[in-house]
This record gives sequence, structure tokens and C-alpha cells, in this order.
Amino acid sequence: MMFKYFTRALTQRIFLAFLISIIAHAVVHLAPGEPSEVDPSNPLMKPEDIAQIRMAFHLDQPLYLQYAYWIRDLVNGDLKSFKDSQPVLPKIWERFLNSLPLFFVGTLIVWCLSFPTGIYAAVNRGSKYDRLSTFGSYALISLPSFFLAYVAILWVVNNFGVPVLGMRTFGLEDASGISRFMDRVWHLVLPSFLSAMGGVAVLSRYVRSQMLEVIDQDYVRTARSKGLDEDTVIYKHALRNALLPFITMFGLMLPAMVGGSVIVEQIFAWPGLGRLGYEAILNRDYPVILTLNFIAALLTLLGTFISDVLYAVADPRIRLQ
Amino acid sequence: MILKNALLFIPFLVFLGLLQSYLWVPTYGDQTTAGDGRLEKFISAISGDARLLNPIVAADSASGFVVSHVFDSLLEIDENLRLKPHLAKEYKVSCLATIVVGEGFSPESLLQKISPHLTSEASEIRVLEPSTLIRLIDPDGPGPLKEQEVKVTRPNRIEFSLDDVDPSFFEKSLKVLGAEYGQEVTGISAVSVSGKISEGLISIATALAPITEIRPVIDFDLRKDVTFHDGEAFDASDVKFTYEAIMDVRNLSPRRSDFEPIESIHIRDSHSVRVIYKRPFAPAIFVWSYMGILPEHLLNSVALDKEMDARGISGTARDGFGVRASKFNRSPIGTGAFKFTDWKTDESISLARNQDYFDGPPEYKELHVRIIPDSVAREVEFKAGAVDTYLADPHQVARYLKDPAYQPFTSLGLGYTYIGYNLRREPFQDVRVRRALGMAINIDEIIDYVLYGEGQRITGPYPIQTDWYNHDVLPEAYDPEKALDLLKEAGFHKNSEGFLEKNGQELRFNLISNNGNPQRKAILTIAQNSWRKLGIRCDTRLLEWAVFLKDYVNTGDFDAVVLGWGLSELDPDLYQIWHSSQTGPQQLNFVGYKNNEVDNLIENLREEYSRTRQVKMARNLHSLIAKDQPYTFLYVGRRTQVVDRKIVMVKRNESGSVVDYEKLRPTPTGNLNYFFNRWRKLEAIPDL
Repeated sequence: MMFKYFTRALTQRIFLAFLISIIAHAVVHLAPGEPSEVDPSNPLMKPEDIAQIRMAFHLDQPLYLQYAYWIRDLVNGDLKSFKDSQPVLPKIWERFLNSLPLFFVGTLIVWCLSFPTGIYAAVNRGSKYDRLSTFGSYALISLPSFFLAYVAILWVVNNFGVPVLGMRTFGLEDASGISRFMDRVWHLVLPSFLSAMGGVAVLSRYVRSQMLEVIDQDYVRTARSKGLDEDTVIYKHALRNALLPFITMFGLMLPAMVGGSVIVEQIFAWPGLGRLGYEAILNRDYPVILTLNFIAALLTLLGTFISDVLYAVADPRIRLQ
Repeated sequence: MILKNALLFIPFLVFLGLLQSYLWVPTYGDQTTAGDGRLEKFISAISGDARLLNPIVAADSASGFVVSHVFDSLLEIDENLRLKPHLAKEYKVSCLATIVVGEGFSPESLLQKISPHLTSEASEIRVLEPSTLIRLIDPDGPGPLKEQEVKVTRPNRIEFSLDDVDPSFFEKSLKVLGAEYGQEVTGISAVSVSGKISEGLISIATALAPITEIRPVIDFDLRKDVTFHDGEAFDASDVKFTYEAIMDVRNLSPRRSDFEPIESIHIRDSHSVRVIYKRPFAPAIFVWSYMGILPEHLLNSVALDKEMDARGISGTARDGFGVRASKFNRSPIGTGAFKFTDWKTDESISLARNQDYFDGPPEYKELHVRIIPDSVAREVEFKAGAVDTYLADPHQVARYLKDPAYQPFTSLGLGYTYIGYNLRREPFQDVRVRRALGMAINIDEIIDYVLYGEGQRITGPYPIQTDWYNHDVLPEAYDPEKALDLLKEAGFHKNSEGFLEKNGQELRFNLISNNGNPQRKAILTIAQNSWRKLGIRCDTRLLEWAVFLKDYVNTGDFDAVVLGWGLSELDPDLYQIWHSSQTGPQQLNFVGYKNNEVDNLIENLREEYSRTRQVKMARNLHSLIAKDQPYTFLYVGRRTQVVDRKIVMVKRNESGSVVDYEKLRPTPTGNLNYFFNRWRKLEAIPDL
């Protein structure tokens, strides 16, 4: 039963991944523009040279053949970026490793902050704190992150006089291991806080509403009427049940790893995946755009699969269907 | 409750862990004053990462900046934009002139007949034996797929060596020989190796072997004291290899067209090279002033084979593997003043001083380029002292002008912005209309308000800081009333609604530009408004760049455009933008400008090797084009590079000891980095 459910879910997703790759390929190629190497506004380039470049990138072939070339090269590991002729997969992997700490710390901050604020707001519904946190959430959602980033950078630099840009302080190669590590941690603080802001605002609202829903349930009332103290009621009986929907969110976080945070990475000069994708789009670097897109699609499918599995494990009612 | 406490303590611990790292980080103060050699490091900030650190494939400005410090070219441009020797000790331009010995002539009799009519003295005369020429051609025009090999057999020819390039060397002789001379030469025959012989093929083959040929020659004498950063000596084979790598189609070099006029390169001995050109083309020499020379021993086929084996590249991928795909482009080795040391993708590129540089080592020990995409972030790092220089945005410039801690350097750019009119359409065929449209726009106001004053008016097609620019051509003054008079002279009158019309046809057209350029967008609105005041209805539209080029500019389907050109400061050639043969689809004279006088001048200028005559011709061209006003020439932008004021230029005496410091200065044409190798940072702002 269980096994059948999983194999069906898996085959469906493989078919879906194939469909996505075709549609994504078509959309990217049908968008206007050409790789910046084929620059028709460069007066020094002759039509022969442009034809030569188009041929080398297979841009003169029909779309279905270009798709075949892309898949072939991707599978063989021969896929090269138009921009610098470097293999695409190692390039993405390198940037992924740069983005990973930012993603990890950002997520940590989101989950750490959202639960206490959300639970407290739910327990004290209607209180001053509740209204204040609601206001704060909407303020954070409405303020654009680039604005907050500028304010934060200028504030820290002017008041504390320490560097905040990039992944590490420039020119610190000779320092001891521990200070280099701490330097890396420090450079994570501002960008991860800023990329977490939106997440905190949304997730704490979500925690609050989940808690509110659970608090009104019969079993919570039963627990209270049994004479249990308030903390046990809230944290054991209510919170555990309220947590169930959040299990699915773990799976859905996977694709966010390759999305990166374009704006934060751009402002903080962070050499991450978001910037790689953004620059690839500006330069119409098709192999990089397509591959990133495809990986994101795969991770989304994998993420939904994982959350299905987790849900089935956590909630026996799902398995029976 | 454990869970409750955990929910409070975990966030607390996370924040504590993150924030305590502040205590470990060096402050800007530590970084900028610490004795660990900060003064010997030059740190520059740029917005985008380099792509390929290889002179033959570098196309972006970041790669160009790094490449210019790591590689050397044979020649260099001096302060005043004149060529001077660099890797080449000396160079000499001469010329080979050949004429076919036609039917009914022997070499001796032909020579006797033409020698009184030759226009220059020949230093050497040779008779060439009949020869076979093998070329790849494509009978259907450009397109790399349909190439065919063609063999052309040529008869005896006489070759003259000339000390100067004289494109008209045979002109009088050919007149004496008569018009039928060319037709009677039957020795030229085409043999196609891989296909059928067609009419087209024969005409191409005949063009490959013309009756007379003038082929300029440049002889380079190379320096013998130059080594690459890996210790290998630099020699003639490196020059030849660099040329071959550019022409190799696998490398997709954006410089290929620049080197197309070269027929062949010969190694005469280990340190002398001869370059033979296909035809007189004066600008062709400039390529040697910017093309860095690659180390052959690291990139030839043996080295590439080794690299492919090491990287496990096999099968079809091997065929396409050229210099462009090599790892060399991420750790380049050249002969330049700086050696490449490190490249952290999208973070920084680091170079170190080349102590053995033949031109004397630079003052700075290290040169770093930091990649900071955001302009506010660049300014923050610069003001904190973590960066020594960056290119300030126009709105930031004012902050640096009065601050004594910084030295801003403003220079004019090489590109200009213009409004181009489609000369194939009414009413733009009338020069009075074009003049009137230009006069109606207050260009000074555009410079003041759109560019924050960071621009200058121009009147013609050349960069204002070069000798080619004709300063006698004065900009047309802003005068809407005179503009209206000109339009009335051209037959327009105001109708009842207040709009201009001619023969019942209202004067109405569209003005388009590309999306994403706020300055062009502003010009669009200003022009529309200025013309509206005269009674002209102008519809404006912004289009995505690719669509703009494909559907409007390349097909000629527009009335007027706002666009810009980027130019070279060296080369006075205007062929692609202004010659009447370049008005076809996808060509750059898309406004359809045709003027016989201009055509002739452009053609002659390409074949002119004397600088004084080049200058005269270029200035003449400038005034002719300015008179016709096919464009309303608007402005050239200024750019401002700010530098820490602690940085100065070192003056050394002959024995190498420091005698004095000077203020940084740009060259007369605005190149600040020209003296970079003499720059040094002092501990305090000097009193200069």
C-alpha cells in the first residue's frame, strides 16, 4: 500500500520534470534577445562572425534540436556556459556552496523568531503585544528589502566601522583560522537577517493562526478541564498539533536553496546562486539559466515528495487514502 | 516546561552566536592603517566580474582591465594617442606591389613599359613564378557551413617593394596599358577542389587574383629581454600563435574581424615578424596596440591535448576545445607588469607585481579588483578606505568635488548619443527639416538636467578628444523661432489646429528608443515636447533592445531613433556607420545616409597612411557630415573616477631612487590609468 503510493508519486513527478524541462526550454528561447556574445550592436562584428557564434552555440538549429543538445550535454557533463566556456554544473555547485550558509542561517533565524513571536501573539490574542506584532509583520512585508539593506549597511558602517560587504573581509587571508571563521560568520549576520525579515513576518503570522485554530479545539478544552497547567496545555497539547502543517514546509524549502536571494546578494556583493542566475538572464546565458531552472524544478518536485512522505509518516490518516 | 524554555533559549543562543562574531572582525581603521602592507596594495572596485582573462576573447571592461595589466601588446598608445614600440623594439610599415604579366608581355617588356609611370621609387623588384593559391570560399556569401576549397593558378607577376604604402602605385601604368589589359590576362584559372565550377566561383577566384595588388607590410623587431611570468622567453612564435588563435573559429574571438585584413604572418627569425595585409587599410595597424600576446607554449595543440586528457574530455567535445575553453583563461600567464595570482569568482581578482618587468617593475606590490555590483556599496567601501578607487555615479560626483580627502578625475567618454532620422522617408530628406528639428531642442538643458552636467555637446562623428574632431564646426544654437522659419521655408505652414502641414499632410512621425536607458527615455520626452511647441506631432515609444533592433532598426522601419555609438579613440574609419554601401538590412548605416563626397573621403581615408593627411581628411569628413545633419548630434558623456588623495605618482631618477612625488594626472585624452605603474600610496595626504 505504502510502496504503491510512493512509486506512483515518483513516476508522476518524473514525467512532470520532463514536461517542465521542455516548457522551460521553449520559454527561455522564445523570449526576445540573444546571448551577449552575439552582440548585433557591436559595429566591429561582421555577419560572418555572428553566424559563427550562433552556430557554435547551436542557435541556428530548430528548437527541438537545441533541446536535445542541451539534454545531451547536461547528461554528459559537457554543458558549458556561453559566458566563459566553463562547465555549468561545477559553476552552479560552487555558487550553491556560497549561498548555502546564507540560506541556512536565514532559515534558522526565520524559524527561531517566528515560533516564539507567533505563539505568544496567539496565546495573548487581542493584547497590545498581539497588535504590535501584527503591525510589525505588515511593516516588514511592505518595506522593500533593498531599502532596509541600505539603511542597515550605512548604520553598521557608520557606527561600528566594520566591513559588512561580501562573504569575508577583504585581505584577511593571513589571519588565524578562528578569526577567519568568525569573520565569515559576521558577514552572514546582516544579509541573513535581511533575507529572513520577510520570512519572519509571514511565518509568525502563520504560526499565530495555526495556534489560534488549535486552541479552540475540543481536546485543548479537555486538557484544560483535566486541570493541567497552562504551559502543558499550550506547549504539549496545542503546539504539537499545530506543528503538523509545518512539516510540509520543510520539503518546500528545498527549491528556495537554488533561488537564492537576488537583491540581498546583489547589494551585499555576495557571490551566490541568485546573482549567478540574475546575470545569466541579463546575458542570455541559456545553458546556465536552463540548468538552474531545471534544478529548481527538480528540487520543487523532490520537496513536495518529501513533504508527502513526512506527512504520511506523521499523520496516519494520510496513509490510508 | 522544556519546550517553552527551548523556544526562548534557542533564538537567544543563535543571536548571541551570530553577534559575538563582531568582536573578531577587524575594523576599517585596523585594515587601512595596519602595517601589513596595505599601502602596497592597490584596490579597485568594479561592478561586474571578469569573464575570460585572455586578450583574444575578452570583451567586457572588467576582463579588459585585468588583461591590460597581465599581457603586453607589440605596440602601445602613448599619452597623445600616437603609436610607440612596446614588446616590439621597432616597427616599419612598407608595402609590396604586384602586377600580373599579361598575354603578349615578358616581365622585362612589361617593366620597361610601365616603369616611367610608377608613382613611387621601388627599393627592390622581383619576378614571381606562376603560383597556385588555395583558399576556402563560400560562393553564397557569408555562412560558415558552405565553404568550398578553391585553387587559383596565377601567371607570372612582378613584385615591387616600396618603402611607403602607395595605393595609387599602378594607377597611371594601368592607364597606359589600356582598359583591355585586364581582360586579356588568361593565366588566371580557377579550379574548385570539392565542387562544381560555377560562374560565381570563377568571379570569386578572379577577385582572389587581381591584376594588381598593393599589400602593406609591417615588420616588427621584437625585444629579446622579455619573458612570460612562468619564465619562458617571449619570441616571434608567440606573435604568430596569437594571430592564429584569434582566427581559429573555435575560439569565437570578438576581435576576428579586426584581424581579417591580415593575409599572413611570417616568422623571419626568432625575434622578428613580418605581417602582410591583403589590401591597404590604414587602421589595421592599431590592433597591435591593444592585442596582448599569448604564450604559445601553454596554449598550442600539444598543451591543449594535455589539458583535455587531464580533464577527461573525450569524443566530440574534443573537436570544439580551443583556447576559449582552456583553464588558462582563469589563471592567465602573460608578460605584463603584473602577474595573475588569484580569482575568487564574483568576489575579487588579485595580481602581484612582476619584479622582472622589462619596462621596470610597477610601484605597487599588489593589484586587486573587488567586484561590488551595487553603487551605494562601492561608495561605502571607498569612503571607509577599503577601496582606493572607483567610477562614481553622476549623482555621487558632487560629493567628492569639495572633499579634500579625495581626488576626482573627470574624462570624456568615447561614445556619443544622437537622434537619427530615417533619410529614406519624408520629410527627413530635406536637410532644412533635419536642421530645424535639431535647433528646436535645447541640448544644453539636456546635459544640465539629464546628465547632472556630466556631458559635453558634440557636432560630428568623432570623439571630441581626438585629432580627428573638427573644432571649427560650431554647434547649432537653440533657436525655436529660426527652426520654425526653416520649416516654413521647406513648405510647411500651420493649419487651423496649430499643427504644421504641407500639401494637406500633417508633419507627424514617431521617435523610438530602447528600454532600460533612463537618459534616452528622458531625451525622448524632451524632444517630443520641444517639437510639439513648433507644431509637430511626435509619437514616442520605448522598445525592448532585441525587439528594437530586430523589428525596427535592422528593417529600417522607423522615422527617428535615439541611440548612441561607442567609438575607438584611435581609428578615424567611418565606413560602417556612414558609407552608402552600408545601408542594407542589418548594417549600421541604418538611417540611409548617402553622400558621394563622403563616400570617396571615407574610402581614401582607409588607404591613407600619413597622419597629417588622415587628420585633414577626417576633419573634412566631420564638417561634411555636420552640414548634412543626418543625425542631431547630442552629447558625449563624462565619467568620473575618484581616487584616494594619498595616492601619488613617483618620480625616480636614473639610478632608480625616488626623487619626488607628483600629483596624479590623466593623459590629455583623459586616460587616468596610463601612468598606473608609477602610482603609490603614502601614509598621509601629501602637500602637492
